[in-house]
Amino acid sequence: MNKKESRRRILSGNKFPHLGKYQMKNEQNPSIRQVKIYSIVTLILIVIGSGVSYWTAGRIEYYTDGVMHTSDVLQRTDELYSSILERETNIRGYVLTSNEEFLTNYNQSNVNAELLLIQLQALTIDNTLQQNNIEELRGLINSRVRTFEASIEYMKEHGDLVGFLDPNKINNALSGYTLIKDVVLRINDVENGLFQQKNQSLINNIYALPFIVGLISIFSITIGLMTFFSIYQFNKAQLAANKEITLFQQKLRDQIKLLDDSNKELEQFAYVASHDLQEPLRKITAFSDLLKEQYDGKLEGEGDLYLSRITAAAVRMRRLITDLLEYSRAGRIENEKVKSVKLSKVIAEMLEDFEIAIQDKSAKIAVGKLPKVIGSETEYRQVFQNLISNSLKFSKPSVNPEISITSEQASEELINSYPNLDSSANYYLIKVSDNGIGFEKTHVDRIFSIFQRLHGKKEYEGTGIGLSITKKIIEKNGGVIFAESSVGKGSVFNIILPYIKP
Amino acid sequence: MLMSFEKPIQILVAEDDEDDKLLILKAFERTLPKEKVTCVEDGEALLKYLKRTPPYDDLEKYPKPDIILLDLNMPRKDGREALAEIKSIDELKSIPVIIFTTSNSVDDIQTTYKMGSSSFITKPGSFEELVKVTEEIENYWSKTVLLPG
Repeated sequence: MNKKESRRRILSGNKFPHLGKYQMKNEQNPSIRQVKIYSIVTLILIVIGSGVSYWTAGRIEYYTDGVMHTSDVLQRTDELYSSILERETNIRGYVLTSNEEFLTNYNQSNVNAELLLIQLQALTIDNTLQQNNIEELRGLINSRVRTFEASIEYMKEHGDLVGFLDPNKINNALSGYTLIKDVVLRINDVENGLFQQKNQSLINNIYALPFIVGLISIFSITIGLMTFFSIYQFNKAQLAANKEITLFQQKLRDQIKLLDDSNKELEQFAYVASHDLQEPLRKITAFSDLLKEQYDGKLEGEGDLYLSRITAAAVRMRRLITDLLEYSRAGRIENEKVKSVKLSKVIAEMLEDFEIAIQDKSAKIAVGKLPKVIGSETEYRQVFQNLISNSLKFSKPSVNPEISITSEQASEELINSYPNLDSSANYYLIKVSDNGIGFEKTHVDRIFSIFQRLHGKKEYEGTGIGLSITKKIIEKNGGVIFAESSVGKGSVFNIILPYIKP
Repeated sequence: MLMSFEKPIQILVAEDDEDDKLLILKAFERTLPKEKVTCVEDGEALLKYLKRTPPYDDLEKYPKPDIILLDLNMPRKDGREALAEIKSIDELKSIPVIIFTTSNSVDDIQTTYKMGSSSFITKPGSFEELVKVTEEIENYWSKTVLLPG
């Protein structure tokens, strides 16, 4: 089934028309592993994105610093150039007007200029070339300043500059400014050159960086969205699965109820059938008896034989019906209130009832320490009655029966081998062992079936219902019964019952 | 064997099933003469008999019983109803009533004793046992206990 079809079915809510053929469509829905992978990739992309952004910010800062630095240098060189011109102007002004203010400005400019030069030097301290350039500049500026000073001296002395200026001085002035300008430009060029050098790659790729970051972001967002979507899908799948489980549970509950009702019906049927069957059987037995009484020996041919066969069959049928009734009654909850039962007490009482049979057969019965279990006293008495009566019945003819009843903790291995036992709970293992005639291993399950007998009617009496009733009772109380035996080696009946806190 | 100074008891059996009626009569024959056991087929007939309503007003044919053997499940009027009625009538309530039924339910046992029956016997399965029971009944009620007049 492809994705489209699967999605359509999910949305239509009709995923599983046949609950019997149900299979969770895992391939279509994202597994938790996929969700994890998406989330990790998103995280990695975010980390990478952050890293790149951080690095980019760093580069931009570096670049900005570079720009600032260059701007600082250029600004100062310009200011220096302006300053020298300013001083020229101030000197002129002073010369023309003898206004002291021009002198003040000139002196201030000198101070500023020196400051600027020092700042320039500091800014380019790592560059020898620039340092030399700045020295040169300083030299050139100072030479102009000397001229200014000289002219001021002259002014102060003579009151004007007549006789001071000569073509040499004029030429010097002109060339001086040209030289200063050249140096200034040179300093600027060097500075710009350095800036270019340092930031060439960045300058080249300055537009790439935001692009890369943008790309990573888009990628991260996309993967992030995919993660969200897959989580959403996963959730949806989980909900659908849960719904399925709930549906199943309901179906299971319905089935259990049906089985329960059916069971009750069967039990009811067995009870009523047995009960109603007893009535005509009574009559058959009674009239056969009467017949036997009145016509014993008087019937021709094989009449007596036929009569005794009828009677025997009727008697046997009666026993079967009684046993069947007993079986259908066993395991009915209303039979007695369920409580904690002391097995040692039950067995002691039961053995009293068997005293005569025990003495008759000179049997030895050893009873170990027995626990308390949940159930009804009557039923547990029945259980052990059946087992002891069997052990006594099926004893070796020439050997005194020896029966032992012991109890121990059931091993985990044993508990695990029975799936209907709770593997996390504790159980007792009660063993009833005898030294009787035993039975073949192959019959080990058959003996617990209703009316199953391993021997002929003539050899041993009984309808073969005892063990089925026993098994029913044990299982009703949440336990298990199984037998071990081999011919001639006696038998062990093992009963596993749930542990209760003393 | 009847002792000459002992008067054999008169038993009235209320039983609807023909076969059971036959068996009971046959069983009692061992210890009582035939005329000492009379039968009615249901609760209604039983009350009519006891109240001497015709055709049960013939005292020779239908003598007054010393004890009543009462089946519980009968048509028209069942044993439980009949028992209740008998125990509510002054002249009748001192006649011992023995419940003789197929039922062995605890409910029935408790209710009938509460209503005043003397005993509760479940019909035995074989004829042999039935004879034993009838013998014991006859023994007990005619020899062991004293009856009201």
